[in-house]
Amino acid sequence: MAFKAALLMLLVALLLSASVAYLLYARGVFERTQKLVLLSDDSEGVVVGMDMTFSGFALGRVNRVELSPDGNVRILVDVPRRDAHWLRQSSVFTMERGLVGGTRIRAFSGVLTDPPLPDGAERRVLRGDATAEVPRLLNAARDLLANLQAMTAADSALNTSLAHVQDVTGRLKGPQGALGLLLGNEADARKLIATLDRTNALLARLDGLAAKADTQVFGDQGVMPETRATVVQLNGLLADARASLKKVDAVLQEAQTIAVNTREGTADLAALRAEAESSLRKVEHLVNQINRKWPFARDTEIKLP
Amino acid sequence: MWPGRWRRVIPGGFPRRYHDRMNPVTSPQGWPGRVRRRVRRAWGMLHTSALVLALLLSPSSYRRENRATLARHVYLGTAPLLPWFTVLVALASLVVIRIVVVTAASYGLSQYALEMVVRVLVLELIPLTAALFVAVRCTLPAGVELVALRGRGGFEALRARGVDPLVTEVVPRVLAGLFAVVTLAAVSCVVSLVLAYLVVHGLTHAAFDSYTRKVGQVFNPAVTLIFSLKTVFFSLAVSLIPMVSSLHDPGSGKVQALPELQGLVRMFLLILLIEVASLMGNYY
Repeated sequence: MAFKAALLMLLVALLLSASVAYLLYARGVFERTQKLVLLSDDSEGVVVGMDMTFSGFALGRVNRVELSPDGNVRILVDVPRRDAHWLRQSSVFTMERGLVGGTRIRAFSGVLTDPPLPDGAERRVLRGDATAEVPRLLNAARDLLANLQAMTAADSALNTSLAHVQDVTGRLKGPQGALGLLLGNEADARKLIATLDRTNALLARLDGLAAKADTQVFGDQGVMPETRATVVQLNGLLADARASLKKVDAVLQEAQTIAVNTREGTADLAALRAEAESSLRKVEHLVNQINRKWPFARDTEIKLP
Repeated sequence: MWPGRWRRVIPGGFPRRYHDRMNPVTSPQGWPGRVRRRVRRAWGMLHTSALVLALLLSPSSYRRENRATLARHVYLGTAPLLPWFTVLVALASLVVIRIVVVTAASYGLSQYALEMVVRVLVLELIPLTAALFVAVRCTLPAGVELVALRGRGGFEALRARGVDPLVTEVVPRVLAGLFAVVTLAAVSCVVSLVLAYLVVHGLTHAAFDSYTRKVGQVFNPAVTLIFSLKTVFFSLAVSLIPMVSSLHDPGSGKVQALPELQGLVRMFLLILLIEVASLMGNYY
């Protein structure tokens, strides 16, 4: 009995020891880890012991959550060294809160050839909160429902328009049809139909007129052959006019030559005039001198006979 | 039956009997006397419990001459219960695990099923079940044995031979209860964890790492401490209270309820308090 009891106690002790060892292993006590510090402005939903996942696999475990002196949240994550190669310097970390379930921290490594993330690296975590969108969504939905209610109300514009459309389709189906709808009453519709009849008669007459006009214009004695002959004559006249113009052109050239000569002659006349003026000034000067020297001629008054 | 309870007091008059044929013996002090008596009794039980605990922790209780008795009680208190209890717990766990997993899957919450199974089964149900099972199958019958032994004058005979009946008769039974609760709880927890893994993942070792991670998340230091303390307190409650109640059987001519029934009520009350305290510690 004592042996059995001792064996039982030994087995229970072994079981308890194994359980404690398993729990320590499950808590990651025997793992070699490196630190990763995630910075965020809100730690809501982040609890010690929660996982950080990479492609759905648990890659690290939140070891501590603390406030930094500048008011930011520092989430200290223990990443096992054997899994740390999945985290690179270009890795991005996100923290999401779904409508159901807790907060999830996820890592994304786009370029796996980048240098590995060093121990104690600090990275800012990008936050996405589905519940934060709910109030905005509710407001939008409320506005939408209010608009819908306004649209579908009994006195709404949409309802009135639909009633008008129904009225219109009813009148379209009526005896007057679309014309009655467009003109409003039967008398006007009749007038329109009478106008159309008269227009048809007018068109028939216009057709006869057009046939006659065709004969008058394009017939043997019509306008068009006469016009063609007139054009031929006009061509001849234009040729004569062109010859006359050439002659006029020659005359003009001669006139231009004469004008040039005249301009030159005018320039000579100016020189001649200048000389004549100079001679006159000299004569005047001479007369003045004679007058000063001539003692008798003091009486300047001219007496006409 | 306590005749005092059936007394009717007429204001300004004398107390009279409820019925003429009833025994008119009443407590002269009224309810303050009853309260005082109960407090004295509770204090006596606490004192005896402390004495038994001190003897449990004392190396002198494990002397060579006592070892055979200790081993016999420990083995007979645990070994016959272990297979049946393990089988029962395995079946019940299988049903609960299946229900939780299927329900969680139908709501698209499979990722939380395992955590819920571990929390509900391992942390809450199994220690409580183990304690109650040991109480019903081991410690309450042991308390009845003690009452019978006392009734036969066994305690006086032992004392006459210079043997302390607390050491030779009470401590082995309490130790057997403690060991049985811890053993049954530990074995059943391990069985439930293995069954949960098999039901969720099947016969493969590929999911062992993720399963271990989940278990590690549930068993954080605070939860583990509360779980351990709860199991220990459960085992103390179901082991000590029946023995101490049997030692405090008044048996002085008054008509009393059976001591094992009183012990059962006290034990249930204490287990309830421990469970409430552990729930508050875990979830508040």
